[in-house]
Amino acid sequence: MDTTLIALGALALSGALATVAGCAEDLESDVGSQSNPNSQVQLAPQMGNIHRYFNKAISGEPVSYGLYVAVAGAVAYAIMQMGLNPILALILGAGVAALVHGAYAISAYLGRIVGQSKNFGQPVYWDIVMSHIGPIVGHGFIAVFCMVLMAYLANTILGNPFPLPLIALIFGITVGAIGSSTGDVHYGAEREYQKYPFGGGVPVANHGDIDIKAEYGLRNGMDSSYFCARLGGVLTGICFGLIVFLDGWRGILGNILGGSNEGSIITASIISIVIGLIIVAVLTIANRKVEVFARNKFGPYTK
Amino acid sequence: MDIVSLIVPLIEITAAGAIINASVHFVPVGGAPAAMATSTGVGTGTTQLAAGAGFTGLMGAAAMAASVGLSPTGIALILLSGAVSSMIMLGVTMLIGQLIYVFGIGVVPAADKCEIDPITKDPQKPYVTPGTTGHGVPTVCFVSGLIGAALGGLGGALAYIALRKLGLDAGIAGMLAVGFFFINAVLASYNIGGTIEGFHDPKFKKMPNGVIASTVASLVFGIISILMVLSV
Repeated sequence: MDTTLIALGALALSGALATVAGCAEDLESDVGSQSNPNSQVQLAPQMGNIHRYFNKAISGEPVSYGLYVAVAGAVAYAIMQMGLNPILALILGAGVAALVHGAYAISAYLGRIVGQSKNFGQPVYWDIVMSHIGPIVGHGFIAVFCMVLMAYLANTILGNPFPLPLIALIFGITVGAIGSSTGDVHYGAEREYQKYPFGGGVPVANHGDIDIKAEYGLRNGMDSSYFCARLGGVLTGICFGLIVFLDGWRGILGNILGGSNEGSIITASIISIVIGLIIVAVLTIANRKVEVFARNKFGPYTK
Repeated sequence: MDIVSLIVPLIEITAAGAIINASVHFVPVGGAPAAMATSTGVGTGTTQLAAGAGFTGLMGAAAMAASVGLSPTGIALILLSGAVSSMIMLGVTMLIGQLIYVFGIGVVPAADKCEIDPITKDPQKPYVTPGTTGHGVPTVCFVSGLIGAALGGLGGALAYIALRKLGLDAGIAGMLAVGFFFINAVLASYNIGGTIEGFHDPKFKKMPNGVIASTVASLVFGIISILMVLSV
């Protein structure tokens, strides 16, 4: 079969996997309350808001996801070297990463909450640990499996010269950076502060005064992921999917337009770079359009 | 190995470190406060975002290096490819972040460190929520971020090329480049000390200190890399 066609198929699959991985990663960080908005969950008991959120800022998301996906990649790589089926190896690798994730999540929750119990009266809710650990590890498994499969495709079909565990590490760091830059904003600025009027940033004076009541009963991490799945999670997935797809697509398009034989590799590379610059210009224009829309729609603050 | 083929990569590694450090200062990061729409920029840490963009650039550069080789034209293409990959990563991330700020939180992108956006000439202060230091990614921050991403991708690619020239294989060069990027991004992050909006932020003037620190650290890194290669 034509190699360009296979590469295009692998790229499309990578883009789809990246979309699922990004979405699952963001929702996992909402259930478990990781990354920057976790500063508010950590601050809440000190402001008198005793809460039932899960609390697990193991580290910044890029570093923790870099760890999980690299663990999965390294285990899968080792199993593949033993001669096992690659897909089975990837599943086993993601499974080991899920165990690592679960261990870190529980120890982070207990460490963080117990640290606040004595001085601020924040109880350790064991039912929160038991009910949240499943969705945390489950979402994490989906995200990690998708990324380690993407790393395998990049390594075997898309011509990436790095070894599987290194590509996995890089994908993990990238998805963490994206998740904490995009989807977590929806959780931190909107979901945690829904009692304040829509349409404003959170003033410093209100920090720590997070919502502790849900639509029904007391709020927990799963309520947050239910809310954030409507916008933050989806957009995070689209973001990672677009990055993986657009960056690979410009290379394949360069090969198609420039001809992929040996002599025309320079032409193909130049075309791919020009296409990349056009994509960047389109992104800049789109950003400006969104900014102008917001200025016209919302207007300045009057009080 | 003759002395010239050791000195040239050493100079390239040192320059790459300085470029990476400078690049981080351009990226508009609001840190944890931006995740609550309390400060302008992308809602994550400087090191994290710069590393995410830089590594995407590194992957783009490595894929390009595998196809075009290390000839002078090839090197130029690798550098450009690294820069473009990084710009795409950060451009998409800033745009999607912007969509969440506007449609999920309902704020207008507004910079706090300038009265008027130097690029669009739009007034900024009336659109900043009282009690915050701006929110979202206004055009000046977006453009500054793209410049930072381009420099970051270029710096990462240059370090990768230098390590490959030393005779390291793609995997080892990639691992060292990842570590090297983190060293310089963290040094820049210390120099920034929290949040920065981009080239219009007064903190941007502190950049020379960070660049000097990275130049020294990268020189040491380069010497260690050469010693590693010579001892194999």
